[in-house]
Parts: sequence; structure tokens; C-alpha cells
Amino acid sequence: MDILKQFVTRTRIEGVVILSVALAYLWEAHNVPEFYQIPGVPGPTTFPYLLGLVFAACGAWLLISPKDLWRMWSKPAEAVAAPAPAGPGLGSRIASHWHLIAMWAVVLAYLWFMPDIGFPVATFLLLFTFFYLLGETRWHIVLALSLTVTVVVYVSFKMGLNVRLPLGVLEFLVK
Amino acid sequence: MFEHLINGFAVALMPYNLMIALAGCLVGTLIGVLPGLGPTATLAMLIPLVFSMPPATALILLTSVYYGSMYGGSTTSILVNIPGESASVITTIDGHKMAMQGRAGPALAIAAIGSFIAGTFAVAMLTLVGKPIATYSLYFGPAEFFSLMLFGLCTVASLTGGNVMKSIVSTCFGLMIATVGIDLVSGAARFTFGNPFLQDGVDFVVIAIGMFALTEVVVTAREVRSGVRAEIVEPKGLFVKWSEFVYSLPSIGRGTVFGFLVGMLPGAGATLSTFIAYNLEKRLCKNPERLGTGDIRGVACPEAANNAASGASLVPLLTLGLPGGGATAVMLGALMMLDITPGPLMFEKHGAMLWALIASMYVGNALLLVLNWPLVNIFARVMRVPAKYLMPIVLVISTIGVWSLSYSAVDLVLTGAAGLLGFYMRINKYPVEPLILGLILGGKMEQAYRQALIISNGSNSIFVEKPISLVLLGLALLFLFLPMILKKSQQFNAARETAQAS
Repeated sequence: MDILKQFVTRTRIEGVVILSVALAYLWEAHNVPEFYQIPGVPGPTTFPYLLGLVFAACGAWLLISPKDLWRMWSKPAEAVAAPAPAGPGLGSRIASHWHLIAMWAVVLAYLWFMPDIGFPVATFLLLFTFFYLLGETRWHIVLALSLTVTVVVYVSFKMGLNVRLPLGVLEFLVK
Repeated sequence: MFEHLINGFAVALMPYNLMIALAGCLVGTLIGVLPGLGPTATLAMLIPLVFSMPPATALILLTSVYYGSMYGGSTTSILVNIPGESASVITTIDGHKMAMQGRAGPALAIAAIGSFIAGTFAVAMLTLVGKPIATYSLYFGPAEFFSLMLFGLCTVASLTGGNVMKSIVSTCFGLMIATVGIDLVSGAARFTFGNPFLQDGVDFVVIAIGMFALTEVVVTAREVRSGVRAEIVEPKGLFVKWSEFVYSLPSIGRGTVFGFLVGMLPGAGATLSTFIAYNLEKRLCKNPERLGTGDIRGVACPEAANNAASGASLVPLLTLGLPGGGATAVMLGALMMLDITPGPLMFEKHGAMLWALIASMYVGNALLLVLNWPLVNIFARVMRVPAKYLMPIVLVISTIGVWSLSYSAVDLVLTGAAGLLGFYMRINKYPVEPLILGLILGGKMEQAYRQALIISNGSNSIFVEKPISLVLLGLALLFLFLPMILKKSQQFNAARETAQAS
């Protein structure tokens, strides 16, 4: 069990991920229909095959991590004597990083829902939560800032630079 | 040549272009001053904006932002001991000590003067060597170009980040993303998973904004919560004594030359050039023991080097189409979107525009000197704008940047995914620049590869049979193993770590 724990390092997990992405990529390249290939001429899959092979080789290298293996092999006693300190449980790790996770959740939700909810509302909500998450707890300042920034950005990009920004749920206003 | 240059000045001095150059220098200085927001992210955010401009104006804006940031980075290094850019890390050593000794004024002044001299030298060199290099590269066929791009990717992979293997993974993944979409030769849809939005391929702006702007917002936001407020040293005078200027002039000269030579190399970039220049300065100057204790030469030399290098990195970009790092890669992408392909024919096809750019860089350097010297106090205060108010706004503007490209929700989702991946990569020391570079060069590289294979009837030996190509491949290999050879050099390792952190 200890040996296994030593073997499963972050680098090796990354190696597995990279290797699987490479294999999936090669498989997709393999699935490009035959009739696009003209014999004797490099087709649409020639370059991808090359890339996929290099990527797979990198993944395999990281998975094996020869240097690491060699260290384990040459100094097994020392390696066993100093096992990695047991990481805190998943629950407590989430608790200590809740702030980071919350920020990413807000950013991703914004990118995902913005086209549907519309730019003004989504941006206002994003700014409101983000200012708050960044440590500005006086709610009247957060509110005023979010509103002002939303309006200024919306007006300047819409009018000034002619960017089409979705109104989303606010569309009833223009009807 | 001089009549070209004069025509260039005529375009660069048009009120509109002059205004754009001024705005670019201002924005560049501001992002240089603000820690966290780098030139690469800013350039990526600006790209949707430059579409509506004539190509010459667009180029003027992008370059002025780029070298403006090199100017601004030194201000905070000296006054606050926080480098605004990775390229001014070295400046903090002597610069901040000078500020603590009450000599902030001379430090800022010599940084501005050194930057101006180096910047002007770099442009002058670009004026002189640009066309010959471009003419020489006319001898390049597809095989040579493929090897050249491979060489560029290898140098970048070897010089950014602490681990070459991770850089190769990053580069390769970038190239793989570049193959998504419809193959231009055969029309085959590749890696689109049946999604019509992916048929056009993945826009590099989408990935660049995700990986640079989005992650920067989150990383800075995380630091904000645990951060301490920086103490700014108020400079008293803004003048440097004539004797001090003469004293640091040789250092400026050496910094400029080394910076330019290192900067020409793809991948090395401004950061590495400052490390090398400072290190060499220690060996070459008189009284080297004074360096590190608040010596004015310790400011002059790296500041000259980073400005010379950022100018020099435009040489391979404009003449060979080979970007040296994140910022120039984004510029190359912008050029390609404007339907300008940098490379051997650039001087033939877009000569007028190029000369306008070169002229505008002379103008921009002068503008920066005029802007930065008297206004340095104001710029230093900009740093006080708390990041907690700034970062969310950066986030919104980057989102608009992605959205305005093609009004596609898929792009936004891809940006989010790129942001998450970029964040993971940043934390686990996978450099991001090689990925962007791979993504931008991928299309051209595949094209060159296939053309070369068509010429050789499918034999890969064409890449080693052509002498230029063989030399480039050899150099590429050499660079990949360079970190192993230089492993013992702490200076080199420190420089690479810094280059990656930016």
C-alpha cells in the first residue's frame, strides 16, 4: 500500500491524463473519413498524428517518471521512512479553499449564463458577488459600484464601440 | 530607405495615429505599473478593439502598449519594491535601495533615460536589419519555415518554465488545439465532435483571454485577500545629476546591446535579457561590489536591457513571423486577423505600414519619456487603486472581448475552460506562453509541414537534407537540452522561474 501511495504522484496522474487525451486525440484523427485522404499526399491527419504521438510520448514519460522511479529504486528505505504527510480530508480542503472555489464558480456561471440572462443583469450580479468576495463588505458601496460599472461599461461598449450585448431578461424594456 | 522612413513619419504623425500612440503608451504604462495585469493579457483584450482600425493604426496601438508596459514596470520596482512586470524584477535590487536612500528621483530619471536610449537604439536597429533579414528569408521554403517555427517553439519551451518536459506538453497541447476545425486543404472536419461552432477552429483570443486575463483576475484576487498594502516612497526631485548620468552611460550602452542581442532570440524575451545583462554588468563594470547596494548603474543596465529586448523581439516577429513570447505571439495573432502575414514578404507587401510602425516607435519612445518623467508620481499612485475594485472590471471587459469576436456562447464556455486549465497550469508550473504560441503557430506550421512533404513526395528526410533547415533543427535540439547543460547556473534558473511567473 505504501509503495502504491509513493507511486501515485501528481506528476503521474497528470501523465495519465495527458496520455488519455493523446489517445483520444489520435482516435479522433483516425476517425476522419477515408475519402479526405489522397494517396501519396499528406492529408488532414498527417500532422495531427505527429502531434498526438509526441503528446502521448510526453504523457508516458510523465507517467513513468524515470528519475522518480530511479530514486525509489535506489533508496527505498529512505523513501518509506518519510512518507508524504497525509493530506487533510476533502471536506476540510474545500473548506480552506472555499473562497477560491466560490470565485471560480461565479466566473464560470457568469460565462455560462451571460448570453441567456443578458449582459446588464449578469454583470451586475457578477460584480456584486465579486466585490463582496474580494473583501468589500460595506453593501452600499458594493451596490453603488456594481451599478455604476455595469451602466458605464454597457453604455460605452454598446454606444461607443457598437458591440452587440444581449439584454436577456431585460428585453421587455425595449419592446 | 530614408525616404521610406520619412513617409512612415508622415503616417505616424497624423493626428489620429499620434493620439492612438499616446493612448497606447498611457495604457501600457498603466498596466506596467499595475502588478498582476501583464502586457499579454492586455493585448489579448485589445484585439477585438483593433478590428475596426486601419492596420497601421492597429499595429501602432499594440506595439505602443507593449513597450509602454516595459517603461511602467520600472516605476513600481523602484518606488514600491514590487515589480510591475517580470522584466523589472532585477530593477528592484538597486532601484528600491536607491529610493530608500532618498534617491528615488535619480533612479526614476535614469530608468526613463536608459529606456529611451535603448528603445531608440532597438528601433534604429530594426530599421537597419529588418529589411535584410526579411530579404534573406526569401530563400526559405516550406521545409525551412517548418524548422524555423520548430526552432522558435523549442527556444520558448526551453527558456520559459522550470521543467522542459512540462513546456513541451504545453506547446504540443497548443498545437493540438490549433488543429481543431475544418482542414483548409481537404475540407475535413477535425476534432469538432459534430459541433458546428468548432468548425471555424478555436480562436486564439478566446484561449489567451481565458488563460491570461481570467487566471490573472483570480490569482490577483486571491492575493488581495491575504495581501498587505504597499508602501510607496515619494520621490523628491526628478532629476539626475550630469555626473551620475555619465557614470551610468556605459551601463546603459552594455545593457542596450546585450538586451538587443538576447531579445532577438525567440523565447528569451525581456525578462531573461535583464538577468543576463545585470550579471554581465557585474563582471564588466568597475567597482562591481557597489552593485546591489543602491548603485545607479544597477537601474540603468536592466532597464536599458528590457527595453532593447522588447524592441528586438519585434525583429523576428516582423521579418520571419516568429514571435518570441506571449505578448508578441498575441501581436502575431492580431496581425493574422487583420490579414497581414508577417514574414519575408512583409516589407514588399505592407512596406508603407511597416515604416509607419517603425516611425511611430521613434515617436512613441519620445512620448513615453515626456509622459513618464514628469508624471511618475501620478502613475505610482495608480498602484493604490485597490485591486479588489479593478479585477472584477477586468473580468467584465475580457468577457466582452471574447463575446464581441463572434457573439458565440461556445466561445465564452471555452474561455472559462481555458481559464480553469490555465489556473491549474499556473499553480503546477506548466508555462502558459508556449501553449498560446503553439496555438498561434499551429496553422502555419501544419501548412509548411504538408507543403514540404508534398515537395519531397512524402519523405520526412527533406527536413534534414536542406542545409538551413538542418541547422535550425540542430539549434532547436540544442536549445531543448540547454536547461540540462545550464542546470548548475543559478542565475539561469532564477531567470526562468521569473519568466514563467509572469
